[in-house]
Amino acid sequence: MVWDAFIAIYLFLAGLGAGAFVLGALTNWAKKPAPAMKKIAFIVGPVAVAVGTLVLVVDAHAGFNNPMRFFLLISNLGSVMSWGVIILSVFLVVSIIDLIVLLVKKSTPKALDIVGAVMAVCVAAYTGVLLGDAGVAFPLWNMAILPVLFVVSAASTGFAIVMLVTHLAKPEETEALPFMGKVGLALPVLELALVIVLLAVTATADGSAAAAASASVANLISGPYAVAFWLGFIAIGLVLPFCLEMVRHRKGVGADPATSEGLPSDRPSGASDMTLALAGECAVLVGGFMLRYLVIMAAVAVALV
Amino acid sequence: MSEKRLGMLIDLSLCIGCNACVVACKRENDVPLTKFNTWIESFDVERPDGRIARANVPKQCNHCEDAPCVKVCPTGASYKAEDGTVQVDMEKCIGCKYCMAACPYQVRYQLDSGEVQKCTFCHHRTTEGMLPMCVSTCVGYARFFGDLNDPESDISKRLAEANGGEVLYDDLGLHPSLYYIGLKDIEAMPVASAIHRGGNVMKPYEG
Repeated sequence: MVWDAFIAIYLFLAGLGAGAFVLGALTNWAKKPAPAMKKIAFIVGPVAVAVGTLVLVVDAHAGFNNPMRFFLLISNLGSVMSWGVIILSVFLVVSIIDLIVLLVKKSTPKALDIVGAVMAVCVAAYTGVLLGDAGVAFPLWNMAILPVLFVVSAASTGFAIVMLVTHLAKPEETEALPFMGKVGLALPVLELALVIVLLAVTATADGSAAAAASASVANLISGPYAVAFWLGFIAIGLVLPFCLEMVRHRKGVGADPATSEGLPSDRPSGASDMTLALAGECAVLVGGFMLRYLVIMAAVAVALV
Repeated sequence: MSEKRLGMLIDLSLCIGCNACVVACKRENDVPLTKFNTWIESFDVERPDGRIARANVPKQCNHCEDAPCVKVCPTGASYKAEDGTVQVDMEKCIGCKYCMAACPYQVRYQLDSGEVQKCTFCHHRTTEGMLPMCVSTCVGYARFFGDLNDPESDISKRLAEANGGEVLYDDLGLHPSLYYIGLKDIEAMPVASAIHRGGNVMKPYEG
């Protein structure tokens, strides 16, 4: 194994930070003002991406021992990683400026939020492209699917962390974005579909990649990573949050049938709903990490079968 | 005149799996314990006539023409030298391991200091007019080395006799500069033992 859990932490944090920032930008279009949620999102975004980047710097220990070498990082623009460095840097600069403006002036220019959100999507997609460009050696790392899968997972985890903190810090703002309930149902389904496609496409790889590809899939569904995959990722990361969101939705509809046209506004407020929400958000975070961890650890190289 | 493209050819029918090349390489290149610039994968195969034969397949960096390690290296530490070989500039390597992840042959490893190393085709020797250490030391003369773009070189002539030779993972399209004779024959035969690498079991026998 070339990369390990350390890189999985980075991929997870970069995605989480990117998703969080996007949610912060989306609060501009909230039905009710959600200043606390926006602030939470704009803090989590750059902090998570910065911590993730720091993990990378420490992991690259030849550079860590000779820091001047990091200035070479953009010398090969044919390398996806060079572009990643540029994308991460621009995102960090934009999101930190945006955060400072928010803290100083209490509001941010929408244009800056949008630029930051676009860069955030690039950060999330980049984490997938990074692995995808090594797909010639590790057939599980599919360039067509991983970037999309990681963007969806980044949205899941980023939204979950912001909603989690908002639930704890400012629960009345959690209903400000009326589409969040539907998003909470849609993202796990989409993620599951993408994972199925990833495994199916990988399993059909032929030629020199065939053995490594099927060994990678077997690692996940029946091999040493099967428990982590089925329990950690599928059950806890996807099925549980979906079911909890469903229960919250049902309860909400049952409690007040008169306003059952939209999802979240129907929700009952109260301790039990809060518990369900927090549990779901934690489960999404566990699943998001498991996805990155499994995609890295279960991948088998062409030469190693 | 065409550019130089140094390559190696290993005639598997002449390789006896003695590991002299592996040892010579380790001494020549100060390869750390547990790491190898070149190694031999040794295993039994079942021949079409039902008898068991020993297969020995030396492996190392393939010095691909379209090297994924060079493509993904963000700092330019991994680069194509003028002689067509793939080299690593230690002074530029940050140890991100992207090259290790992108190599389908998995020939790269990390030093304790963090930099990534691999077979150089003994760049320090070939630039002085000498052969790579593994070629010089091979007791069965199984290894040939030279300029693939020079039709008069020993390796080109030997390749021409062998109908162009074979490469590992041809379908990946990376155009490696490490050629074999007899690779397809071995690949076609069922493996009948564990696969050994450097004296250790690399892949247990599942038959």
